[in-house]
Amino acid sequence: MSSSVPVFEARGVSKLFGPVTALSDVSVTLNRGEIHSIIGENGAGKSTLMNIICGRLAPTTGTLLVDGNETHFRVPKDAQAQGIAIAPQEINLVPDLTVAENIMLGRQLGGAARIDWKATRANATRHLHQVDHTIDPSAKVSALSKAQQQLVQIARAAATEARIIIFDEPTATLTYREEEALLSYIENLAREGRSAFYISHRLEEVRRLSHRITVLRDGRHVGELTPEEATRERMVTLMAGRPPKTGAQPRREIATTETVLEVQGLSRAHEFRDLSFALRKGEILGVSGLIGSGRTEMAKCIFGATRADAGQVRLNGQPVRFDSPLQAIQAGVIYLPEERKQEGIFPLLSIAENTALPTLDRFTGLLHLRNREMLAEVERLAIQMKAKFNSLKDPIVSLSGGNQQKFIIARWLMRDAKVLIMDEPTRGIDVNAKFEIQSVLRRLTEERGLSIIVISSEMEELLDVADRILVMHEGAIKGIVNRSDATQEGLLRLAMS
Amino acid sequence: MTAINSTSDRSPADRRKVSILSRFWAWEGSGVLVALVVLTAALALATDNFLSSYNVSVVMRQAAFVGLVALGQTLVLLVGGIDLSVGAAAGLSATVGAILLTQLGIHPWMIIPLTMAFGFGLGALNGIFVAGLRLNPFIVTLATWEIFAGLTLVITKGYPIRPLGEQFGVFGKGEILGIPLPVIIFLAVAAILVWMLTQTRFGRNIFAVGGNRDAAMLAGIRVRLVEFVAFGMAGMLSALAGIMFASRMDAAQPSVGEGWLMGAITAAILGGTSLRGGQGSIVGTVLGALLLAVLANGTVMMNVSGFWQRVIVGAVVLVAILVDLLRRRR
Repeated sequence: MSSSVPVFEARGVSKLFGPVTALSDVSVTLNRGEIHSIIGENGAGKSTLMNIICGRLAPTTGTLLVDGNETHFRVPKDAQAQGIAIAPQEINLVPDLTVAENIMLGRQLGGAARIDWKATRANATRHLHQVDHTIDPSAKVSALSKAQQQLVQIARAAATEARIIIFDEPTATLTYREEEALLSYIENLAREGRSAFYISHRLEEVRRLSHRITVLRDGRHVGELTPEEATRERMVTLMAGRPPKTGAQPRREIATTETVLEVQGLSRAHEFRDLSFALRKGEILGVSGLIGSGRTEMAKCIFGATRADAGQVRLNGQPVRFDSPLQAIQAGVIYLPEERKQEGIFPLLSIAENTALPTLDRFTGLLHLRNREMLAEVERLAIQMKAKFNSLKDPIVSLSGGNQQKFIIARWLMRDAKVLIMDEPTRGIDVNAKFEIQSVLRRLTEERGLSIIVISSEMEELLDVADRILVMHEGAIKGIVNRSDATQEGLLRLAMS
Repeated sequence: MTAINSTSDRSPADRRKVSILSRFWAWEGSGVLVALVVLTAALALATDNFLSSYNVSVVMRQAAFVGLVALGQTLVLLVGGIDLSVGAAAGLSATVGAILLTQLGIHPWMIIPLTMAFGFGLGALNGIFVAGLRLNPFIVTLATWEIFAGLTLVITKGYPIRPLGEQFGVFGKGEILGIPLPVIIFLAVAAILVWMLTQTRFGRNIFAVGGNRDAAMLAGIRVRLVEFVAFGMAGMLSALAGIMFASRMDAAQPSVGEGWLMGAITAAILGGTSLRGGQGSIVGTVLGALLLAVLANGTVMMNVSGFWQRVIVGAVVLVAILVDLLRRRR
C-alpha cells in the first residue's frame, strides 16, 4: 500500500442490461497488497462488478485503469494478461480431468510439440499445497467434495501468478478448519504484495480480513468503511438501506410432549449411523452440522428418497417405511431441498404452477384444470406468507430467492403437511427476507401445529429460530441441546467432541 | 417488467397491442407460423395452383403422417428424452397390423386400435430401459430402431404385405367433407394432446419432469411413470401413422417409416420444442409438420430438383434455430 497509484481502479462504471440498471456510477480502487471486500445483498451488483473487472462483461460506461493506465477488456483473456484472475463461486472445473490438469488448464508447461507433464504437475502441486495440503493433485476432480473443488479453483486462480485475485464467496461451502486455512492464505498473498477483491456474505470474516470494505446496494456505491468502522450493525444497515430487522424469534416453551416423528437407530452405509431423536408437535428442531455431516442424507432418507440400512421411523406412533418421496408426501412428511435451483423449482413454469403442481388433483375438473380456483388458492397463501409478486403467471425465476422460497413453502401448505424438513431454508437469501421466513416458520408451528426440522450450517440461524438444536458431525448425533442452554461456542465444542 | 416500463406513456389500447405482440413472440411456435404464412403466400403468388383444393389436400395429407409421428416425438422431447425408433416402430406396427388383418382375419375396424396398442408396447419397451433403468434414451432407441427395423424384415422377408382390402382402405383414402381422413385424425390427435398437456395433471407433470427432473421427484411426481407413458404414446402414434399409411397404399411396406424419423424431429424443433426438455408446444409441432410438407410440395411445384429439397430443409432448420435464438434474447 506504499505506492500512490492503485494497481486497479474502476472509475464511474455503469452497466445496463436492456432497461435494467445493474450498476450505476460505481468507483472502486485497489492498492498493492490490499484486501478490499465488496459486500451487499443479492442483486446489489457485486457479481456484475466482478465480471466487469475480470473481463467477462464490458461496462456500458466508465473506465478501468490498471497501474493508472486506461484499459479495455474485450474477453477474460485480456484481463488475465494484465494479471487479473477470478476464483468464481460456482464450480467451473472439468470433472474428468485431474486436479493438477485443471489447475494448469490452458497454461500447461512445455513446448509446442508436447506438454512437459512433470513440470506442469509440479507447478500445480506447489500452488495447490499453499491452499490445502490434503488434496491429491493426481485425483480426478469429480472425486472431490464441493469444498475441495472450491479450493482447487482458488489454487487455479493463484497459479496464474495474477497480481489481482477476485475471491467470490470462497468460504460458502468450507468447514471451519478449511476456512481458517484459506483466510490465512489470502492474508499471506497480501503480505507478498498481491491484491484481492473479496466477496462474502459472512460479515465476521469480512471484518477480520479486509483493509477496506465497500458496500453496494441496488447497483450503487453506498459506503466505504475501514474494518474499525465496520460493525455488523453498520454493515447490515448500509446493505439493506435501513436498520436490520434481524433478531431471534421470542423464546417459548413447547407445552405438549406429543411426539410426531420418531427416529430410532437410523443408519445408512457411508452416510450416517444410529440416529435417534424425537420431533414434538409444534416444535422447530434445528439440525446443526456442516456439509458432509450426514444431515442432508438423513433428511432424504426419512423422506423416502433413499433407503435406510437399519433403524425405523415412526409417525404419530405408527412405524412407517417410505419407499418413495410420494409415499412420504402422502403421509404428510415434506422435504424442501437445499439446492433450491436444482431440486426445488421448475424454472420454466409460472409461480402459480410451481406452487400448485403437487396438488393439481385438487383443481382437476372432469375435463379441465380449474385455473381460477388454483390462482385464488395460491394467492391466498401468498398473502399469508407476505410474498411479493407482480402476477402469479410470471415465471418463478422472476422472483428473488426469498420470495421463491416462500412459494415453495406455500406449495406444501396446500396439502395437509404434518412434518416439514427444511434444508438450508435461507441460504442465499438476504437479511430481511431471512427474518421474514423465520417468522413464517414460527407462525406455521403455532397456527397450524406443524412440526419443522430446520437444517442449517449457520448456527446463528438455528439459535434464532429453533426450540431445540441437534448437533451432527461425521454421520452421528453428538447431542441435542435446548435453545436456552445453547451458545455458538457450546455447539461448536459439541460438534468437535 | 420491461414491457410495463416501456409502454407506460402510451394509451391502454396501444399497450394491449404491444402486449399481444410480445406474447405472440414469447410463444414457441411464433417463428414457424410466420415462416409458414410467408412461404405459403410466396408459393401462392409464384405458382398457379398451389392453393388449389387438390394441392392443399395433398400437402395436408403429407403433413398428417409425419405429423402424427412428430406429435409423439414432441411428448418424448418434452420429458427430456428422444426417440430414434419411431420410424422403425411405425414399420413394424404396420406389418403386424397387416398380418392381423390378412392372416388372422380380424375385422378391419379392430385393426387400428390393436396396432396402436402394439405400438404402445414398442414405445413402452423404450420406456422400460430409459425410465426404469435410467439408460440414455439416444442409445436405447438407437438399438431398438435396429431391432424393430430388423424384425420387420425378418417377418416380411422384405416383401410388402398386400392387398389389404377395400374396406380397410377407408382409413387412409377416405374423406369427410372433402378433407382426407388422415388429416382429420392428425388434427384430432393434436387437439387431444393440447388438452392433455394444458388441462390434465399428467400433462403438467410432463413439463415438470422435463423442466427439472430432480425437483419433480422431490415434489412427489411419479417421474418414471410419466417418462414411461410418454415413450409409450410416441410408439402408439407412430403405429397409428404406419397403419394408416398402409391403409392408404393398400400395402404394408417394410420401409414405410424410414423417412419419418428426421421429419418428426425436425417438425418438433421447427415448432419450438427444446431438445433439453420442459419446453415445447403441440401446435408448434403441427405447424412444423405443415411447413415441411409445404417445402416439399413447393420445391416440386417450382420444378426444383428433388435433390435440392434436402438442402433447403436443412437450411430452413438452421434459420429456424437462429430465429429462435433471437426470440429468446429479446
